[in-house]
Amino acid sequence: MNDWLNKIGWAIGLVLLQVLILNNIHIGEFATPFLYIYFVLKLSSDTPRNQQMLWAFGIGLTIDIFDNTVGINAAAFVLMAFVRPTFLRLFTPRDTYDSFIPGKKVMGSASFLRYLVSCVLIHHTALLTIESFSFISLGMLGLRIVLSTVLTTLCIVAIEWFRK
Amino acid sequence: MRNLLNFLIKYNYWLLFLALEALSFILLFHYNQYQESYFFNSANAVTGKVYEVSGGIASYFHLKSVNKDLLDRNMELETKIQNLEKTLKAHQVDSLELLSIERLPQGSYMLYKANVINNSLNLADNYITIDQGWAAGIRPDMGVVDANGVVGIVYETTRSYATVISLLNSRSNISCKIVGSNYFGTLRWDHSDSQHAYLEDLPRHAQFNLGDTVVTSGYSSVFPAGIMVGTVDDMGDSNNGLSYLLKVKLATDFGRISDVRVIARKGYQQQKALEQKSIITNE
Repeated sequence: MNDWLNKIGWAIGLVLLQVLILNNIHIGEFATPFLYIYFVLKLSSDTPRNQQMLWAFGIGLTIDIFDNTVGINAAAFVLMAFVRPTFLRLFTPRDTYDSFIPGKKVMGSASFLRYLVSCVLIHHTALLTIESFSFISLGMLGLRIVLSTVLTTLCIVAIEWFRK
Repeated sequence: MRNLLNFLIKYNYWLLFLALEALSFILLFHYNQYQESYFFNSANAVTGKVYEVSGGIASYFHLKSVNKDLLDRNMELETKIQNLEKTLKAHQVDSLELLSIERLPQGSYMLYKANVINNSLNLADNYITIDQGWAAGIRPDMGVVDANGVVGIVYETTRSYATVISLLNSRSNISCKIVGSNYFGTLRWDHSDSQHAYLEDLPRHAQFNLGDTVVTSGYSSVFPAGIMVGTVDDMGDSNNGLSYLLKVKLATDFGRISDVRVIARKGYQQQKALEQKSIITNE
């Protein structure tokens, strides 16, 4: 119960942070940090996939409603939640515990970074591709994906490194 | 069948994934066509409230730039007002001048514009220098007026300058009358102050009130009739007791005359020559 309240609190906090502040950041017109994916990234490794995807759908849709981009964030976020366990298994050393919350302490900095960048990249690629919905300006799209990925990763790394 | 069920149970997350993605895309396509839809856009009550609060907070962060913009705008408007006032003032003077000129009978007078470049108030005999001379058509004995009233009479001219005998000069004598009565007298100055002169030789049977307007009579060759001179300020008897001596408050403020008009009456030289001739003949 407490765990659920905690999660809901995190979800609301991240959504508000994203909607009110981060969505207004457009560094050089290209890079926007999408920090709300931090929520699913930090779910315990033994969370059922279905639950992860439902979280992702709920949060994504909430952000969409604020942004008037109904479906876009939800689709990208559900995709990320879907592939996350696979990445987690891929980048986790064999000898770790069965159930853990992804982080640099548990996984080691290198593994965690790989896991982080992979997830962020998947999410941003899906999100920005659906958003532009065309491959006409492929260079521009690529630039936006790369820059936004760098920015989001930096934000999450900053949070991760300064949290106890 | 069991295999299929097992498969479905084992990979149920695939189903959920596909279902959620399908739902997302249905929403995406559906609501991108209907942006104004009630529930899912930010006009929704909750999101609207959140944005309202955040917008209220965010507006404080812009106060500095908003303030600067306002100051800039303020400065701009103030400059504009100053310019407008300046223009307006110029036009006011012009319209007064226009009025004073409009009072003149048309046709028989020529007007020349001139600026005062030297002026005095406190001497026993005051002269004014203007920046137009005979090259501009100005000749001695022409009348000089400004927007408010009579200034004086041209005395001497050079090529591009002229001196004017101001009303504040013992040599100045201008034929004046009181509006409405047609009795006329001579306006003289007694060296007292720059705002008053005296109207002499007004017959004792003339009727007038304090505050009546004094204008040029038109009997001299210099000024046309009806140009403002001043108002009756005080009245008394002349030394010999045969006529009134009126103290006239001059309409022209000699302390600040700047641009004036020189009035040339057509045929004034003929009139003058004729008058000279008759005087000589009388003698």
